[in-house]
Parts: sequence; structure tokens; C-alpha cells
Amino acid sequence: MNILYLLIPLGLVLVVIMVAAFFWAAKAGQFDDLQTPAVQILLDDDSKPMRHDRKVRDA
Amino acid sequence: MAALKSCFHCGNTAADCVHAVAGDGVARSFCCAGCAAATGLILAQGLERYYAFRTASDQAPRYEQRNWSIYDRDRALRSYTHVREDGERELSLQIDGMHCAACAWLLNKSLRQLEGISDIQVNAGSARAEIRFDPTRVSLSRVLESIYSLGYDPRPLSFTPGGPPWLAERRTALKRLAVAGFGMMQVMTYAVSLYAGALDGIAPDLEQLLRFVSLLVSTPVVLYAAQPFFIAAWRGLRMRTLVMDLPVALSIAAAYLWSVWATLRGRGAVYFDSAVMFTFFLLLGRFIEMSLRNGFGLQQDAIARLLPESILRISDAGEERVIPDELCTGDRVRILPGERVPADGEILCGRTEIDESLLTGESVPRARQAGENLIAGTLNLSNAVDMKINRVGQDSTLAAVSRLLERARASRPRIAEVADVVAVWFVAGVLVLAVIAALYWLHTDAARAFPTVLAVLVVTCPCALSLATPAALAAATTQLARSGLIVMRGRALETLAHADRVVFDKTGTLTFGQPVLTEVHVLRVGANRERCVAIVAAFERYSGHPIARAFAKESPAFGVSEVSSCAGSGIEGRVGDQRYRVGRAEFVMDLCATAAAAPEPAEGRSSAFLGDTAGLLAEFVLCDALRADARITVHQLRNMGLEPLIASGDRPAVVAGIARQLDDPQARSDMRAADKLGWVRALQARGHIVAMVGDGVNDAPVLAGADVSVAIGGGTDLAKVSADIVMLGEGLAPLAQGVNTARRCMRIIRQNIAWAVVYNAAAVPLAASGWLQPWMAAIGMSASSLVVTLNAMRLLRPPNTAAAGSDVPHRPPQVSPA
Repeated sequence: MNILYLLIPLGLVLVVIMVAAFFWAAKAGQFDDLQTPAVQILLDDDSKPMRHDRKVRDA
Repeated sequence: MAALKSCFHCGNTAADCVHAVAGDGVARSFCCAGCAAATGLILAQGLERYYAFRTASDQAPRYEQRNWSIYDRDRALRSYTHVREDGERELSLQIDGMHCAACAWLLNKSLRQLEGISDIQVNAGSARAEIRFDPTRVSLSRVLESIYSLGYDPRPLSFTPGGPPWLAERRTALKRLAVAGFGMMQVMTYAVSLYAGALDGIAPDLEQLLRFVSLLVSTPVVLYAAQPFFIAAWRGLRMRTLVMDLPVALSIAAAYLWSVWATLRGRGAVYFDSAVMFTFFLLLGRFIEMSLRNGFGLQQDAIARLLPESILRISDAGEERVIPDELCTGDRVRILPGERVPADGEILCGRTEIDESLLTGESVPRARQAGENLIAGTLNLSNAVDMKINRVGQDSTLAAVSRLLERARASRPRIAEVADVVAVWFVAGVLVLAVIAALYWLHTDAARAFPTVLAVLVVTCPCALSLATPAALAAATTQLARSGLIVMRGRALETLAHADRVVFDKTGTLTFGQPVLTEVHVLRVGANRERCVAIVAAFERYSGHPIARAFAKESPAFGVSEVSSCAGSGIEGRVGDQRYRVGRAEFVMDLCATAAAAPEPAEGRSSAFLGDTAGLLAEFVLCDALRADARITVHQLRNMGLEPLIASGDRPAVVAGIARQLDDPQARSDMRAADKLGWVRALQARGHIVAMVGDGVNDAPVLAGADVSVAIGGGTDLAKVSADIVMLGEGLAPLAQGVNTARRCMRIIRQNIAWAVVYNAAAVPLAASGWLQPWMAAIGMSASSLVVTLNAMRLLRPPNTAAAGSDVPHRPPQVSPA
């Protein structure tokens, strides 16, 4: 059970890192808009030129 | 009804859809030229995917051209933008008319095609955009104009470092939630080990280690994450009221301090797990509620838009349009009718009527004359006046009101007023009960006294009760906002749900409010019909009269000079060598020397005449058409048990015609605002709850007098401020849906309160008699709060009986907290 004396403090260090990471993310505005970015990826224009390319290749 | 088409761009149904071919050769129908232009622009930029991805329809873009050049002033650039290190400027915009992520995408793609814009971030949730641009390559006015031409209404915001206050509030709440959440995970692991150890045996030094680590992790949770509860409880105590947060703060503090003492002493039970779990679930509930409240960005900067965009400043150098930020104390400005007052000050000359309802709630306009004070944000109704500026910016009354609102918003929402009154008694009861339980257990079994008192405090946490109403109201408000109804006052929903009479104003509410040109009669042999229409169209460019709008679709082919208008009669001017008059028959015929009898006006319609010095040329028959969805809405309301009534200032024949089309609701005509108010009062005296739907221009007193008032979107700013509910967009369809949602909301509030009462009634005796451990109490109370919140979230789903006849697609339900 002595391993606990290492694992518990290690767990604490991890928590501190997690909280710090979360604080950074909140401060950087990562959570400000949870709607737009989710849809943005679907709306990006990359599908249109691809379809065009394929047609050209097929022809 | 079969002929109704919905507009390709805004989804409004209109009988007279303009069929326009936009760009790619596909015929689409539009309700107005504004929508057609917006679609044309979107297609021309290759952004047609917008229509495939949007989840709600657009508002119809406003038709009129707007002049944005005021934003090209140096001072505007300095006020609204902020210089970055690389020389580019940053601009924050509030954008009206945004409703889903596809709008954000559209703005993003479209604006990137403008040269000089290097970055744009659009937030669909808060309807804000941050734009980075190079002022030497693209002007501020050009940026705003391109947004406007897509059908949105941009408004530059003064640069505030770090974004709007609610954003900072949200970030802080998230941080607290994270600390409590991560802390809870850790402490629960230790707690489970300790409970297992208590059953199976545990090495004493390991037990002590776990308790110390729990103390270490709980400390930031209690001191940082739980801070809002302590602050609120302390503020309540200082104001000598017992607030909901008081038992919360007491139980968290008691559990924590007791456990710290037990840990340091090395014996006795610890309750870190209860304290931390309690904090986390409470914060979670609050966060969800806050997200619901802030979810819709429209009300955020309502105060800022009460200031005019530009104002006429008069100095020795002459007259000049400036932005409000440029004004200094002592400046002289002229306020035209229909404009808002830009700063606090005093009238130098002129007399007018001012609408101060924004500050006083009094909807009757006040007469103001030289020497009297004007307050920023109030609306000048009748005449142009000159004023001297006394206080600007942060010193003005408006800024003070705005600060008050900000403070009110930061605390609990106003809508919880009634719940707060109940809360005082509830909290007092809980405290008394806790003391009784403590005394009882101290005498019988002192060791169980503390856990029992803690369990009582935790289990009775009134959060379910205090969340019951606000969570449901917030969810209903959000849902209504999505369908185009903005609730300005929380109470309005309750009243709307109970209303049994709906009084409609006719003009502008049931009808479009804008006359449409239906017939042209040429009155002189040889006169050309097209030429007559074109002359009138050219004239009406100079007139603000509602009739002028009927001609807005016609293209003026002539230059008009020497235009003068005669109030109430018409307008006179010169085309080439010929003088013309447009307006009432008598006025037009005065121009010609040979007197002739004026033609009889036909019943139920209005006419305008065109004439020159030789007599009348043509008669234009104008008709105010019924809104496409008026009939179906009236029908739906009747099915819901709301009796529709019509109050109109119009002539009996016209009103009767409209009523006939709506299956003959009770209708009164020739009513002035005072008569309408009298009717509403009479209905109320008979015990009815009256909802008033109006366009707000002259209905303001009636709107204020009704139990609940709904203003239709096309109305002026004035109506938007004084009405309880504002309908965005053109159309009545959201009204029936609004009543439906309001009723569902009331049902859910009743369910929530019933649940909270039953839960407390069952849990309190159990806790007081010592059956519940504090951790069980914490789970029970958290579960009950979550049940209430999740129940409220059911309102976010669109109602099953969506308003028939509208093709407006619904946004998919969202159950995520943000």
C-alpha cells in the first residue's frame, strides 16, 4: 500500500495541471462560443472543388 | 390560401410574391425586393450553401437604403475600433438578425471577399462579430454596408477590452465549475476509500493521509468555487433578508469547518465529500440557468442602441453630422423628429413632445420646451429642437441606468421575485428546524447531532424551489426567441399563458400597415399611365408619409425640383417646366385655376391623386392588405380559447371588411388610443385578461394598459422598449406559438414547484430524524435540482403543434448546457 504515498500526490499534480489547462482554455475564449465552430467544419468550402476535380478526372 | 408562397430568403408567406430569377437562372419567389437583393448577393458570391445549412429563416431585410457614411469620420474610427500592433484595426459589432450558425458562416465567407479584411470571428450565440481590417484599404462604412446588404443590421460597439461583461461572467462561472468538478472527482475517490476503510479496516496513517489530501483539495473548492454562495448570503444578511443562499452557505461552511477540525484533531467523521459535491451540483444548476439566460444576445446591448447613430451638431463653422461620442459638454445639437437624444442636456429653442417611457415607464409623451431638460436615449416625437449638451458618456443618466441593469443582471434574475418572498419563510423554517433537530439530538445522542443538522441543511437546500421558476422561464424565453418572439419582461409569459382576450390593432398588425398600389385610374384623356406612376414615384422619394412606401417599388424616371410638402395634404414640386401636386384631391385641385368637383372617395379604400395646373391627371387606389398569416393566427388563437377582438382607428367600412376576412371577430372602428385603452379597461373590469397586439406607434398607451402587450417587429424603437414581448420579423404566426409555449412553461413551473414541495416534505422528516447521512442528502438535493432543470429544458424542444401555414424550419433541440 506504500505505492499510495506516491500515487495520491501524483494524482494531485495531475489535477493541478488539468485545472490550469482548463483555466487557460477558458481565458483564451475556447468555451465562449460552443455553437459556431461545431457547424463551421461542415460548412467549409472544401467539398466543392473536390467534386469538381473528380469530374475532371473522370472525363 | 393555396396561392400563398413562402419567400425563399426569409420564409415569410406573402400573397404577392415577387418571382425573381437570381443569378443562376433558377426562378425563386421572394416577398420583397430586399429579400431578392440579399439572395442575389449571396448567390453572386457563391455562398448558396448557406441556404442548405441554415436552421432558421432570416428576417426580411429592410428595404430602405441606409447611409453609412457617418462611420467614415475619423472620430468614428477612433471610437469604435482599436489599433493593433501591426497597424490593423479591430472592430466589435452587434449584429441583429443573426439566428444560427449558418448566418455566422455566411457573414464570415462574404466579408472575407472584401479586400482589406484580414480576420473575422462571428459568434452566433451572442450575435457578435470581431473584425480585423486595414482602414487604408477598406472603410468602416463599407464593412457595415456589406453586412447590411446581406440582410443583417450591424451596430458598432465601443471597444471594451476583454469583451462584454456577461462573457467575463461566463468564463468565471466555468472556472469555478471546473475547480468544483475536478475537486469533486478527487474528493469522491478519497471518500470512497475512507468509507471502505471504515468497513474493512484501514491503516491509521493512510486514513490520516486521505483526510489531509481531502482537506487540501476541498479548500480551493470551498474558498474559490463556492464563493458566490458566501457572497450572496452575506449580501442578503447585510440587507437583513434571508436569501436562498444562506442555508447553502451555512451548510458548506459548517461541513467544511467541522471536517477541518476533525482532520486536525485526528478523530471524528469528515464531510468533505458532501461539501464539495453540494458545491459542484449547485454551480452546475446555476451555470445551466445562466447559459439559458445569456443564450440569446439580443437584450445584451439594448441600452447602447438607444443612442442615435449620428446627430446634427451646430457650431460656428456650420452644421455637421457627428457620432454621439464626438459630442462634448456645451455643444449645440439639433434633434429632428424621430431621432433619439444623444446626451443629457437642455432645450435651447423649440418645443416638442418627448417619449421618456424608457426611463419613467410612462408611455404618454411629455411636452418639453426651451429651458427644460432632455435625457439621453429618449425619443423626440414631434418637432426639431436645438439643445445644449450638459452631460455626455459615462456621466449621463442612460449610463447610470445601464450600470443599474448590469448590476441587476449579475444578481438573481428579477423574475424570481415571488420565489424570493417564499424563500424568506422557507429559509427561516429550515433554520428553526435545524436548531430544533440540533437541540433534540444533543440531548439524546450528541454524536449524531452534527451529521443530522448538516443533513437537514443540505437536504432542504431550496435550490429546487428557487430554480423551478427561473429555469423554466429562461428555457421558454430562449425557445420563443428562436421562433421570433423576444420576451422583454419575465412576467409577460405568465400573463400571456392566462390571457383570454386578444385585442388586435388593425393597421400594421393584422394588415401590413403599408398601403399597396392596387389600381391606377387615368383621369385625363391622353395621359400616360406609366408616366403618371413614375412622376408620383419620383415625388414620394421626398416624403416620409406611409403612402409614399406604396410607390417605393416603382422606379422614378424624373428629377424633381422645388419640392415642398404640405402636412396632411400632399406634396408639390416641379418636373421640368410643369408643376405637379400629389396628395388629397382638394389639395391637388387647388393647383388648377378652374374649380371642379372632387371625386367621391370610394368606401373602404384610400386614394391619392396626381394633378398639374390643368387639373387632375390620375387617381391611385391604395389598399392595406391583410397579412398572409393573420387568418390562420386568429383561427389558432380562437382554438386555444383566446377570443380575438379588433380595435382600429380606421373607418367602419374598412374594419368590417377586414373582420369579414377573419371570420367576424368583434371589431370596433373609429377608435383613438384613449378609446382603445377604455375598451381594454372595460374588458379587464369584467375579469378578462387582455393581451394587446399592436405596432406600437400610436398604441403605446394601450400596450401599456393591457395585461400583456405584444409589439410587432416593424414597429418603431419606441414600441420595442415599452412592450412586454416583441415579435421579430413580419408576420403574426409566432403569436400562437408564443401562447402555446407560455402555457407549456406555466405547466412546467407548476410541475417543478410541486416536485420541489413533495421532495422537501418527504426528505426533511427523514433528515431531522437522523435517517439520512449528509452525503445521501447531498445526492438527494442535487438530484432534485437536476430534475427541475432538466424538466425545464423540455421547453427548448419546439412545440408539436407548430404554427401551421408557416414554412419556417425549426432549429433542432439543443440540450447541451451552453
